[in-house]
Amino acid sequence: MVSERASARTDRIRLLVVGLALSLASHAAVADVVAVVSAKSTITTLSKSQLADIFLGKVSRLPNGARVVAIDQAEDAPARAEFYLKLADRSAPQMKAYWSKIIFTGRGQPPEEVHSSADMKKRIAADPAAIGYIEESLVDDSVRVVGRVQE
Amino acid sequence: MIWRIKAAHRPARSRICSLMSQLGGIHGPMRQSRFWKRAKTMMGVGADNSICGNPEGRAVILACPPRRMRGALLGCIFTVAISHPLLTHADADAGAGNQTSGPPMFSFAGFGTLGVVHSSEDNAEFTGSEFSPTGAGYGHSWSAAVDSLVGAQVTANLTSKLSAVLQVISEQNYDNTYTPHVEWANLKYQFTPDFDVRIGRTALPVFMLTDTRNIGYASPWVRLPVELYELVGVTSNDGVDGSYRMRVGAGTNTVQLTAGGSDTRFPSSDGPGDVHARGLRVINDTFEAGFATVRLTYGRARVTIADIEPLINAFREFGPQGVSIANKYDVDNRLVNFIGMGMGYDPGKWFVMGEIGHFATNSLVGDNTGWYVSGGPRLGKFTPYVTYAARKVESNRSDPGLTVAALPPYLAGEATELNATLNAKLQSIAVQHTVSTGARWDFMKDLDFKLQVDHTKNGAGSPGTLLDPQPGFKPGGTVNLISATLDFVF
Repeated sequence: MVSERASARTDRIRLLVVGLALSLASHAAVADVVAVVSAKSTITTLSKSQLADIFLGKVSRLPNGARVVAIDQAEDAPARAEFYLKLADRSAPQMKAYWSKIIFTGRGQPPEEVHSSADMKKRIAADPAAIGYIEESLVDDSVRVVGRVQE
Repeated sequence: MIWRIKAAHRPARSRICSLMSQLGGIHGPMRQSRFWKRAKTMMGVGADNSICGNPEGRAVILACPPRRMRGALLGCIFTVAISHPLLTHADADAGAGNQTSGPPMFSFAGFGTLGVVHSSEDNAEFTGSEFSPTGAGYGHSWSAAVDSLVGAQVTANLTSKLSAVLQVISEQNYDNTYTPHVEWANLKYQFTPDFDVRIGRTALPVFMLTDTRNIGYASPWVRLPVELYELVGVTSNDGVDGSYRMRVGAGTNTVQLTAGGSDTRFPSSDGPGDVHARGLRVINDTFEAGFATVRLTYGRARVTIADIEPLINAFREFGPQGVSIANKYDVDNRLVNFIGMGMGYDPGKWFVMGEIGHFATNSLVGDNTGWYVSGGPRLGKFTPYVTYAARKVESNRSDPGLTVAALPPYLAGEATELNATLNAKLQSIAVQHTVSTGARWDFMKDLDFKLQVDHTKNGAGSPGTLLDPQPGFKPGGTVNLISATLDFVF
């Protein structure tokens, strides 16, 4: 129930800001966003720079050899804007420009996208290699928080 | 590599033709390259008339497959590859976990720029590239041809390790058409997550931003600084490259080795000129840690520009001194080297970057150095910036040429003309510096607007990177450009 309400609230907020999403992206702090992995994952904690390397596509394996696959929320999701702003101090257009460089040099593809925080949680819970981010209020025992990206 | 053929001094048409007939040394194709076009413009001869037409010229060009034909071939290879049934099965070692998190089989993406630019110089063209025929200035007060382009890319993940990329771009071509051409078409095999090999057409990794030069949306500026980026105008490689990435301390280090060749065409009215690069070898190393990037590159190639052969061969007819001059300036299988270093720091709220490159041709093209520094703050949706860029030449910009006094009187006139043409070319090597100010405005999703003003001072006697100088053009002057672009990705 809690998660459904939170999800509905997130949707409403998204509707309200959709036209102004970019202008408000840097101010639309909806909630603390945390990096999560599956409860079945062996990963327990990651530093901010490790998270940045994973979500910027620079590493696909951790130092212990474990494979990690970053998952993104939809481009207009408030959690996504918040996550990258805190993680790398980059706005949505900056991240888009970053990935454009990589895509159009044939060097890689951006992370797979899921539509919502709820979808993200399902996706992460099912895949021990996946890593994503959701609002802290949505965390339950299917996922494990491995990092916070506060400034 | 940049190749500019200019003639500030224009020998009379009849003189140069009769000289060539007398000498009998002009066996190569006599095509209307920019050099000849300009020479004729100055002589008052229409660009459509040939100077000394050689019908065999075109056949000579076709001895090497044109870039477009090879592009089509690469496209065919790509199509065959992605439609091959054996390759469409998932790789055997892609486990169940990989299946759910693997990338889609095909992904499609595109990019483009709509731009206009105005130049304060009415007697020459700013084209932004040696390989573009028109720009702003003499021909058009405002030009949309300099920066506008649209591109599309298909990426096919054939197996978990084998992928293919096809990128097609429509932009102003050397022949003033917008026929799309294959920019890249390559197969990549990802041996490990950190080691891959690509075969086919790839970007030639000359400088830090060479491989994203067409993606306006990925750039903070309207266009890459021409002082550095037009130094080596060849931007794609047909061959093979390998890339290896490793962790070094808190950063990642990527070494890339490239081998191959390239043919690039430059505009003219009667069959394009070609820059042939063979035996291309490039090594570059990129170190990234946090927000910092450092990149080093070294490359070499054997380059041929057949268009200058008539001039070179004319010198060869003048005995040992002429041969010596010809050998000094010839660009026939000439070994050229380039070296570059770039650095950037981008913590998000602001950015700063700079690069320097040196291109040594030991030829008529000169030994040139280009560099720039740029930076700016990110203020919400606005990213204003300032860039300073400069180009200089280390090799000689004049040559005493043939000793006219030592020649029989009937050759003296022709020798004088050849000396003048040689010196005009050396003088036309670009020397300039530019202060650019502008801003990027991310006003909509996947769309930005940029406005930029460039203030360029050309070196004494040099036209800078301007092309097609007209009567009344004064080298060594000041040029202002104003540019506006819309960049998009989709």
